[in-house]
Amino acid sequence: MSIFNTSNDSSNGASAVAEQPAACRPRYEVAETEGAYALSVFLPGVSRESLEITDEDGELRITGRRAQGAPSGSAVLHRESSDASYELVLTHDNTVDTGKTVAELRDGVLSLSLAKAESAKPRKISVN
Amino acid sequence: MRYIQFTHPSRGIAAAAGYGGRLAQAGIENQLDWLFGTALTGFAGQARNGQFPVDLYEDKNNTYVRAELPGVTRDTISVEIVDGALSIQASRKGKAAGGEDTVQLKRLVSIPDEVQADKVSAAYENGILAVTLPWSEEAKPRKINVSVN
Repeated sequence: MSIFNTSNDSSNGASAVAEQPAACRPRYEVAETEGAYALSVFLPGVSRESLEITDEDGELRITGRRAQGAPSGSAVLHRESSDASYELVLTHDNTVDTGKTVAELRDGVLSLSLAKAESAKPRKISVN
Repeated sequence: MRYIQFTHPSRGIAAAAGYGGRLAQAGIENQLDWLFGTALTGFAGQARNGQFPVDLYEDKNNTYVRAELPGVTRDTISVEIVDGALSIQASRKGKAAGGEDTVQLKRLVSIPDEVQADKVSAAYENGILAVTLPWSEEAKPRKINVSVN
Protein backbone atom coordinates (compact mmCIF):
# COMPACT_ATOMS: atom_id res chain seq x y z
CA MET A 1 0.00 0.00 0.00
CA SER A 2 1.48 3.30 -0.96
CA ILE A 3 0.49 6.72 -2.13
CA PHE A 4 3.25 6.55 -4.71
CA ASN A 5 2.36 3.22 -6.17
CA THR A 6 -0.67 4.42 -8.08
CA SER A 7 -0.58 1.55 -10.50
CA ASN A 8 -2.26 -0.77 -7.98
CA ASP A 9 -5.92 -1.08 -8.81
CA SER A 10 -8.66 -3.08 -7.16
CA SER A 11 -9.98 -4.50 -10.44
CA ASN A 12 -7.25 -7.11 -10.26
CA GLY A 13 -8.31 -10.56 -9.09
CA ALA A 14 -5.64 -10.98 -6.43
CA SER A 15 -6.41 -7.80 -4.56
CA ALA A 16 -10.18 -7.99 -5.00
CA VAL A 17 -10.54 -10.42 -2.09
CA ALA A 18 -11.89 -8.39 0.82
CA GLU A 19 -9.65 -9.93 3.49
CA GLN A 20 -6.45 -9.41 1.57
CA PRO A 21 -4.32 -6.53 2.77
CA ALA A 22 -3.27 -4.05 0.13
CA ALA A 23 -0.59 -5.23 -2.25
CA CYS A 24 3.03 -4.24 -1.86
CA ARG A 25 5.73 -3.95 -4.49
CA PRO A 26 8.29 -6.70 -4.36
CA ARG A 27 11.99 -6.01 -4.64
CA TYR A 28 13.20 -6.46 -8.21
CA GLU A 29 16.22 -6.07 -10.45
CA VAL A 30 16.46 -5.51 -14.18
CA ALA A 31 19.54 -6.28 -16.23
CA GLU A 32 19.84 -5.55 -19.91
CA THR A 33 21.63 -7.59 -22.50
CA GLU A 34 21.76 -7.09 -26.24
CA GLY A 35 18.73 -9.20 -27.03
CA ALA A 36 16.68 -9.22 -23.84
CA TYR A 37 15.90 -7.74 -20.46
CA ALA A 38 16.44 -10.05 -17.50
CA LEU A 39 14.05 -9.29 -14.68
CA SER A 40 14.42 -10.84 -11.22
CA VAL A 41 11.59 -10.37 -8.75
CA PHE A 42 11.94 -11.42 -5.12
CA LEU A 43 8.71 -13.13 -4.08
CA PRO A 44 9.35 -15.08 -0.87
CA GLY A 45 6.40 -17.26 0.12
CA VAL A 46 4.79 -17.31 -3.31
CA SER A 47 4.19 -20.67 -4.97
CA ARG A 48 3.76 -21.29 -8.67
CA GLU A 49 -0.02 -21.65 -8.26
CA SER A 50 -0.51 -18.30 -6.59
CA LEU A 51 1.55 -16.38 -9.13
CA GLU A 52 0.03 -14.58 -12.09
CA ILE A 53 1.90 -12.81 -14.86
CA THR A 54 0.18 -10.85 -17.60
CA ASP A 55 1.65 -8.68 -20.31
CA GLU A 56 -0.65 -6.56 -22.41
CA ASP A 57 -0.61 -3.08 -23.94
CA GLY A 58 2.99 -2.61 -22.95
CA GLU A 59 2.29 -3.29 -19.30
CA LEU A 60 3.80 -6.24 -17.49
CA ARG A 61 1.88 -7.13 -14.35
CA ILE A 62 3.09 -9.65 -11.78
CA THR A 63 0.87 -10.57 -8.86
CA GLY A 64 1.55 -13.18 -6.21
CA ARG A 65 -0.17 -14.21 -3.03
CA ARG A 66 1.90 -15.41 -0.12
CA ALA A 67 1.19 -18.75 1.42
CA GLN A 68 0.11 -18.73 5.06
CA GLY A 69 3.37 -18.48 6.98
CA ALA A 70 2.17 -19.22 10.50
CA PRO A 71 1.76 -22.86 11.46
CA SER A 72 -1.91 -23.53 12.23
CA GLY A 73 -2.90 -23.03 15.85
CA SER A 74 0.23 -21.09 16.75
CA ALA A 75 0.47 -17.68 18.37
CA VAL A 76 2.58 -14.85 16.99
CA LEU A 77 5.55 -13.86 19.12
CA HIS A 78 7.34 -11.53 16.75
CA ARG A 79 6.51 -10.46 13.24
CA GLU A 80 8.57 -8.72 10.59
CA SER A 81 7.08 -10.03 7.38
CA SER A 82 3.80 -8.88 5.92
CA ASP A 83 0.76 -10.78 4.67
CA ALA A 84 0.23 -8.35 1.82
CA SER A 85 0.28 -9.88 -1.62
CA TYR A 86 2.89 -8.74 -4.10
CA GLU A 87 2.09 -6.63 -7.11
CA LEU A 88 4.57 -5.27 -9.58
CA VAL A 89 3.56 -3.32 -12.68
CA LEU A 90 6.23 -2.34 -15.16
CA THR A 91 5.64 -0.61 -18.48
CA HIS A 92 7.78 -1.32 -21.50
CA ASP A 93 6.06 0.53 -24.38
CA ASN A 94 5.84 -2.61 -26.49
CA THR A 95 9.60 -2.80 -26.89
CA VAL A 96 9.30 -6.39 -25.68
CA ASP A 97 8.32 -9.36 -27.82
CA THR A 98 5.76 -10.80 -25.40
CA GLY A 99 5.52 -14.09 -27.29
CA LYS A 100 9.11 -14.92 -26.36
CA THR A 101 8.89 -14.20 -22.64
CA VAL A 102 10.26 -17.00 -20.49
CA ALA A 103 9.47 -17.19 -16.76
CA GLU A 104 10.93 -19.35 -14.03
CA LEU A 105 10.08 -19.36 -10.33
CA ARG A 106 12.73 -20.81 -8.12
CA ASP A 107 13.18 -20.55 -4.36
CA GLY A 108 11.04 -17.44 -4.15
CA VAL A 109 12.70 -15.61 -7.03
CA LEU A 110 10.90 -15.11 -10.31
CA SER A 111 13.26 -14.81 -13.26
CA LEU A 112 11.76 -13.37 -16.41
CA SER A 113 13.52 -13.11 -19.72
CA LEU A 114 11.87 -10.43 -21.82
CA ALA A 115 13.07 -10.63 -25.39
CA LYS A 116 13.43 -7.27 -27.09
CA ALA A 117 11.21 -6.58 -30.06
CA GLU A 118 12.99 -6.30 -33.40
CA SER A 119 12.18 -2.59 -33.55
CA ALA A 120 13.89 -1.99 -30.20
CA LYS A 121 17.16 -3.64 -31.15
CA PRO A 122 20.04 -1.40 -32.16
CA ARG A 123 20.25 -0.95 -35.91
CA LYS A 124 23.10 0.25 -37.95
CA ILE A 125 22.12 2.71 -40.63
CA SER A 126 24.45 3.12 -43.48
CA VAL A 127 24.96 6.50 -45.05
CA ASN A 128 24.93 6.69 -48.81
CA MET B 1 24.20 -7.77 13.28
CA ARG B 2 20.71 -7.36 14.66
CA TYR B 3 19.47 -9.58 17.40
CA ILE B 4 15.96 -10.53 18.41
CA GLN B 5 15.29 -11.63 21.91
CA PHE B 6 12.04 -12.71 23.42
CA THR B 7 11.14 -13.75 26.92
CA HIS B 8 9.17 -16.87 27.09
CA PRO B 9 5.50 -16.20 28.01
CA SER B 10 5.12 -19.55 29.76
CA ARG B 11 7.43 -18.30 32.46
CA GLY B 12 4.89 -15.71 33.50
CA ILE B 13 6.79 -12.78 32.03
CA ALA B 14 5.18 -10.80 29.24
CA ALA B 15 6.64 -11.44 25.82
CA ALA B 16 9.09 -8.71 25.04
CA ALA B 17 11.09 -7.94 21.96
CA GLY B 18 14.38 -6.51 23.14
CA TYR B 19 17.58 -6.17 21.20
CA GLY B 20 20.89 -7.31 22.56
CA GLY B 21 24.26 -6.29 21.30
CA ARG B 22 23.10 -2.80 20.40
CA LEU B 23 21.46 0.17 22.00
CA ALA B 24 17.82 0.04 23.01
CA GLN B 25 16.95 2.35 20.12
CA ALA B 26 17.88 -0.40 17.72
CA GLY B 27 14.50 -1.95 18.47
CA ILE B 28 12.64 1.21 17.59
CA GLU B 29 14.83 1.71 14.57
CA ASN B 30 13.99 -1.77 13.41
CA GLN B 31 10.28 -1.21 13.89
CA LEU B 32 10.46 2.10 12.08
CA ASP B 33 12.35 0.45 9.27
CA TRP B 34 9.64 -2.12 9.10
CA LEU B 35 6.83 0.43 9.19
CA PHE B 36 8.37 2.66 6.56
CA GLY B 37 9.55 -0.27 4.54
CA THR B 38 6.10 -1.76 4.20
CA ALA B 39 3.64 1.07 4.71
CA LEU B 40 5.18 4.13 3.15
CA THR B 41 7.26 2.99 0.22
CA GLY B 42 5.10 -0.04 -0.39
CA PHE B 43 8.14 -2.21 -0.87
CA ALA B 44 8.19 -5.67 0.60
CA GLY B 45 10.62 -6.37 3.41
CA GLN B 46 14.02 -6.43 1.87
CA ALA B 47 17.39 -7.45 3.13
CA ARG B 48 19.62 -4.55 4.08
CA ASN B 49 23.11 -5.06 5.45
CA GLY B 50 22.60 -8.79 5.32
CA GLN B 51 19.36 -8.59 7.29
CA PHE B 52 16.22 -10.44 6.35
CA PRO B 53 12.75 -10.47 7.92
CA VAL B 54 12.15 -13.10 10.58
CA ASP B 55 8.85 -14.18 12.18
CA LEU B 56 8.47 -16.12 15.42
CA TYR B 57 5.47 -18.25 16.33
CA GLU B 58 4.78 -20.78 19.03
CA ASP B 59 2.24 -23.36 20.05
CA LYS B 60 2.07 -25.87 22.90
CA ASN B 61 4.91 -28.04 21.63
CA ASN B 62 7.15 -25.95 19.41
CA THR B 63 8.61 -22.58 18.64
CA TYR B 64 8.68 -21.77 14.93
CA VAL B 65 11.00 -19.42 13.11
CA ARG B 66 10.20 -18.29 9.57
CA ALA B 67 12.85 -16.38 7.63
CA GLU B 68 12.40 -14.77 4.22
CA LEU B 69 15.42 -15.85 2.23
CA PRO B 70 14.48 -15.76 -1.44
CA GLY B 71 16.98 -17.02 -3.98
CA VAL B 72 19.72 -18.23 -1.66
CA THR B 73 21.86 -21.17 -2.64
CA ARG B 74 20.55 -24.19 -0.76
CA ASP B 75 23.98 -25.56 0.09
CA THR B 76 24.92 -22.35 1.86
CA ILE B 77 21.99 -22.36 4.29
CA SER B 78 23.26 -23.02 7.77
CA VAL B 79 21.05 -23.30 10.83
CA GLU B 80 22.88 -23.67 14.12
CA ILE B 81 22.19 -23.34 17.80
CA VAL B 82 24.99 -21.45 19.50
CA ASP B 83 24.79 -20.39 23.16
CA GLY B 84 21.01 -20.45 23.34
CA ALA B 85 20.57 -18.54 20.10
CA LEU B 86 19.53 -19.74 16.69
CA SER B 87 21.99 -18.66 14.03
CA ILE B 88 20.75 -18.54 10.44
CA GLN B 89 23.26 -17.98 7.67
CA ALA B 90 22.99 -18.15 3.92
CA SER B 91 24.46 -16.57 0.85
CA ARG B 92 22.91 -15.39 -2.36
CA LYS B 93 24.60 -15.10 -5.70
CA GLY B 94 23.75 -12.01 -7.67
CA LYS B 95 24.81 -10.44 -10.89
CA ALA B 96 27.05 -7.47 -10.44
CA ALA B 97 28.52 -5.16 -13.04
CA GLY B 98 31.77 -7.07 -13.34
CA GLY B 99 30.38 -10.58 -13.01
CA GLU B 100 28.89 -12.44 -10.08
CA ASP B 101 28.84 -11.24 -6.53
CA THR B 102 27.84 -13.03 -3.37
CA VAL B 103 25.79 -11.52 -0.58
CA GLN B 104 26.19 -12.98 2.90
CA LEU B 105 23.09 -13.05 5.05
CA LYS B 106 23.23 -13.71 8.75
CA ARG B 107 20.90 -13.36 11.67
CA LEU B 108 20.82 -14.44 15.29
CA VAL B 109 17.53 -15.14 17.04
CA SER B 110 17.56 -15.92 20.71
CA ILE B 111 15.43 -18.89 21.60
CA PRO B 112 14.07 -20.28 24.87
CA ASP B 113 16.32 -22.57 26.90
CA GLU B 114 13.67 -25.30 26.86
CA VAL B 115 14.27 -26.09 23.20
CA GLN B 116 15.71 -29.51 22.42
CA ALA B 117 18.67 -28.51 20.32
CA ASP B 118 19.15 -31.98 18.87
CA LYS B 119 15.59 -32.16 17.51
CA VAL B 120 15.51 -28.89 15.60
CA SER B 121 14.38 -29.30 12.01
CA ALA B 122 14.42 -26.92 9.05
CA ALA B 123 12.85 -26.79 5.60
CA TYR B 124 13.33 -24.40 2.68
CA GLU B 125 10.44 -23.82 0.30
CA ASN B 126 9.46 -20.93 -1.97
CA GLY B 127 12.25 -18.82 -0.53
CA ILE B 128 11.09 -19.24 3.07
CA LEU B 129 13.23 -21.02 5.61
CA ALA B 130 11.04 -22.69 8.24
CA VAL B 131 12.74 -23.85 11.42
CA THR B 132 10.83 -25.90 13.99
CA LEU B 133 12.22 -25.92 17.52
CA PRO B 134 10.55 -28.55 19.71
CA TRP B 135 10.37 -27.93 23.43
CA SER B 136 11.66 -30.45 25.89
CA GLU B 137 9.09 -32.54 27.75
CA GLU B 138 9.65 -30.66 31.02
CA ALA B 139 8.82 -27.34 29.39
CA LYS B 140 5.49 -28.46 27.94
CA PRO B 141 2.41 -27.52 29.96
CA ARG B 142 1.29 -30.51 31.98
CA LYS B 143 -1.99 -31.17 33.68
CA ILE B 144 -1.72 -32.70 37.10
CA ASN B 145 -4.75 -34.32 38.62
CA VAL B 146 -5.01 -33.78 42.31
CA SER B 147 -7.02 -36.28 44.26
CA VAL B 148 -8.59 -34.99 47.42
CA ASN B 149 -9.19 -37.50 50.17
